[in-house]
Amino acid sequence: MSKAKLENSSQIGLTNSKGLSSIFNKKTIPYLLLLPAFIYYAVFWLAPVFAGVLEVFTDMNGSFTLTENFKLMLKSDLFDKAVMNTALFAAISVILQYFIALLLAVLLSRKFKGSKLLMFVAMIPMAITPTAVAILWKTGLIKDGWVNSVLMFLRIIKEPIVFLNAEGLAAVFLIVLIDTWTVTPSVMIILSAGLQGIQRELKEAAYTFGANKWRIFVDITLPILKPSIITSIILRLIAAIQVWAIAVMVLGFSRVPFLVERIAFYVDAVPGVATSEKLAFTFSFTTTVIVFITTVIYLRATKKKTKQGGNS
Amino acid sequence: MDKLNIIHKTVISIIISTMVISVVVPLLFFLSITFSSDVEMTKFPKALIPTFAVTVKVAPAEDGEYEIFHNRGEGYRSIITTKNPTKLENHFRRQYSVTISGEKLLEDFSKTRVNGSMEFKYRKDIFYNFKQFFAIVNNSIPALKNSVLVALYTILISLSIGSLAGYAMARYTFKFKEVINVTLLIVRMFPVVGISIPMAVLLIKFGLFDTLLGLALLYSVPNIALTAWITSSIFIGINPELEEASFVFGANSFQTFMRITLPLAFPALAASSMYAFLTAWNDTISALILTNQNQTLALVVYKAIGTTSSGIQYAAAGSIILILPALVFTFIVRKYVNQMWGGVEL
Amino acid sequence: MSYLVLKDLQKSYTKGGSLVVNKMNLSINKGEFIVFLGPSGCGKTTTIRMISGLEEVSGGDILIEDKSILNKKPKDRGVSMIFQSYAIWPHMTVFENIAYPLKLQKLPKNEIADRVKAAAEAADITALLDRHPAQMSGGQRQRVAVARAIVVKPKIFLMDEPLSNLDAKLRVTMRTELKNIHNKENATSIFVTHDQSEAMSLADRIIVMNKGVIEQIGTPMEVYHDSETRFVASFIGTPPTNFFEVNIEEINNELFAVSCSFKYKIKSDLKEALKPYLNKAVDMGIRPEFIDIFKEDNQEGEFLCDTNINFVEPQGTHSILIVSIGGQEVKIMTTKYMDIRTGTKLSLHVRDGKAMFFDKGTTHRIR
Ligand SMILES: Nc1ncnc2c1ncn2[C@@H]1O[C@H](COP(=O)(O)OP(=O)(O)O)[C@@H](O)[C@H]1O
Ligand SMILES: [Mg+2]
Repeated sequence: MSKAKLENSSQIGLTNSKGLSSIFNKKTIPYLLLLPAFIYYAVFWLAPVFAGVLEVFTDMNGSFTLTENFKLMLKSDLFDKAVMNTALFAAISVILQYFIALLLAVLLSRKFKGSKLLMFVAMIPMAITPTAVAILWKTGLIKDGWVNSVLMFLRIIKEPIVFLNAEGLAAVFLIVLIDTWTVTPSVMIILSAGLQGIQRELKEAAYTFGANKWRIFVDITLPILKPSIITSIILRLIAAIQVWAIAVMVLGFSRVPFLVERIAFYVDAVPGVATSEKLAFTFSFTTTVIVFITTVIYLRATKKKTKQGGNS
Repeated sequence: MDKLNIIHKTVISIIISTMVISVVVPLLFFLSITFSSDVEMTKFPKALIPTFAVTVKVAPAEDGEYEIFHNRGEGYRSIITTKNPTKLENHFRRQYSVTISGEKLLEDFSKTRVNGSMEFKYRKDIFYNFKQFFAIVNNSIPALKNSVLVALYTILISLSIGSLAGYAMARYTFKFKEVINVTLLIVRMFPVVGISIPMAVLLIKFGLFDTLLGLALLYSVPNIALTAWITSSIFIGINPELEEASFVFGANSFQTFMRITLPLAFPALAASSMYAFLTAWNDTISALILTNQNQTLALVVYKAIGTTSSGIQYAAAGSIILILPALVFTFIVRKYVNQMWGGVEL
Repeated sequence: MSYLVLKDLQKSYTKGGSLVVNKMNLSINKGEFIVFLGPSGCGKTTTIRMISGLEEVSGGDILIEDKSILNKKPKDRGVSMIFQSYAIWPHMTVFENIAYPLKLQKLPKNEIADRVKAAAEAADITALLDRHPAQMSGGQRQRVAVARAIVVKPKIFLMDEPLSNLDAKLRVTMRTELKNIHNKENATSIFVTHDQSEAMSLADRIIVMNKGVIEQIGTPMEVYHDSETRFVASFIGTPPTNFFEVNIEEINNELFAVSCSFKYKIKSDLKEALKPYLNKAVDMGIRPEFIDIFKEDNQEGEFLCDTNINFVEPQGTHSILIVSIGGQEVKIMTTKYMDIRTGTKLSLHVRDGKAMFFDKGTTHRIR
């Protein structure tokens, strides 16, 4: 694409946009197009962000404080657990989901009868609202729910398990499993798309030079997929950090505390208490900072990719 | 070689079936539960397919009363003994999801006076749970309307502002382009919860707190950036010569954009609108923070699970209503989304 | 001695389905540059993929130095393949691309470096070794593919339309270079193309294929001047050979090829061969440059018919005339410099010995 051509095109456009040419010259057009987004983000993003930050660094009486609210947060019930659970959940769920999804995507990379149907089925969980997912699994996990029914039918267990009494790690794992059910199929579709996008000849070339299936996977397929895998993993991580609805709806508030669950807790469960709002603000701020750090890591990763020349 | 192939095929078939089963079975059970009556809910183990009728045994009792027996797993047991039509009617409605008048029941049962104890079979009202959901959760119908409107507003705002920005990013080179690109990315990744609470303060100032527009304004924050990103990648792929050709034939910029560029960018817009829709439709936390009266359906369903702890089947029915539009929308635009993902064949 | 032998080679992609490659027999000598030429879809790619070991054979055998290689993996066959899309790995630098086959052989690092350097020199890409494929032009990628193919010192090079993604000018330069590399490496090469001029300029021998069958094996001159089948005559040469449906008739002890618009006297050397076709229909083919044109009567060659010119396409070195004979469009190539224009009346003669006759059933040349 030559730049001259582009400039040319906008100039031709100009001659037709009668009289406005003084504003609509080719230098200002991009800024004009971006202006609505600028204004929007100044008002509805930057302003709230600043307001939020301001709240975090002022105490109840409105005077500046650097650490007061963070101390409040650190001392708040279940804070340490919320941090731990969020980290655990994000790590375990992403690893589990990508492992399963990659395995499935590789195994199913060959076309076969019913692959269309499979993809169709895989699309369903990802279109289901998280609230509905939570209710779906709650109906399953109650003592006389369908999960116990299935497990008893398969003779895996003899007595119904009371899943909803799960505590600590077991409870986190329960949420991980539910999230995995919801997310894995869509991850698989994304990875399948990547796999299908790899030219067959790239693998065949390696094969003719003596690479076996495993070597081809490790040396060719995986590295070519790597940039897109990293991107989607980071996006998943960011989503995983914000888990809360499923945990609250399946188990209830404060049972498996997560960072965002704490926000909802202070907004929904204990509103009106003086410290609640401050705590909600501080938790929001903290979560945002964590997500932001993850984003920066992501940016680094993609930068590297463009330096490498990416995959053409 | 052939043997290996057979093993390979078998392993793959097993894996595929396991996957399909583990996706489909929960969905089937869930669907079954949304059609289950109260009695079925207490049954264990649960059935994969719901019943569509209920059978009761009725025996005549003294004082013109009838004793009603029902099989709840361990053979027929006596449930109630009454001759009160209202009591009967309520019992059948609440327990078996059978909507039938008490008088009609008594009329049927009177046959047992002559024949001795008899079995009766009644058709279930399969949409009973859905009706109950709307009845119990009294603001659910407005909530459904709210959800649709908020989603619509979000799509409109995100697409109009976002696609302009996307076009600028794709077609022009200008100062700060790199900075703007990164900013858009950060905004896209920014957790909506992070600004929900301060946003509430802001919206109160604007008089937009607890309004649908207020919610849509919040949901549009990540989606404008996302739309800009998706559309710019598509606009880059559209040859500017197509636009030039239109200029040459005398169309102005606006006509060109409407007639040439926009139709070509349709897949990108469809995909973006899906993400905007899903953001608005699926969110609960921001709706929780930003609304009082004008709740969305997702929020209402979320709250229903707290208010109706016993009748989880009603909440299940509610979530089916919540799922369906999202499912339909996703499958309508999935073709375009797949194009975005590099043409995976579905 | 034959180096590579294909014996009754067969391929069908579905069990019992149509044969994409049908009973192919071929033997190739060491050091030869062989070109598979044929229209797209005729089975060229399938054939060299079977030789490379990427595709299983459905029947027949492939031998290298008299030993069957069917049970060998590609790397043990001593072949290397250059793909149409080059198949350069996008995540590796040029150096890594060329070195990867050697790494798979677990060679020591310094030997790998030396051999990569040598291969890069041969393909003239020493300056590009640190680049990634995304930062290179099509021609440069092509060279990387070549370097990667020669670095393993294969016995046989397989090239599947390696030049088809290059622009016309580069294609011509690259084909000279490929031939040079072939000579320098003392390699045996099989080159697949659908472009006849590429085939003609590169090949020691051309294998003309059509619908999974070998139509003719021969040097470029042989396949052009001595086409074995009607297909070869029609596929090779631009403009293509003119064909006429004629009847063989005997008049006054002479054989004639008779169509509705001409009566062509058959030369004595073909008389014997065409005798069995007496009163039968055969296809007569004449290449455009072997039809001579005269304004007046002339004794050169054998008179075909008189006609008017419909159209003239001057090409500088020669002109292409389009005339119609019996309602059929016929192309004539002439280097004569004379006043010819639409409507000019001409007398057409066939140059001696240049009329070809083909059996309608087998499509083979009658001689
Ligand atoms: N993987 C395949 N599966 C089924 N049919 C194929 C496959 N590859 C090629 N074919 C068919 O085999 C025939 C020959 O193909 P190919 O060898 O690629 O021809 P060429 O390289 O001469 O153009 C074509 O008709 C093609 O459709
Ligand atoms: Mg081919």
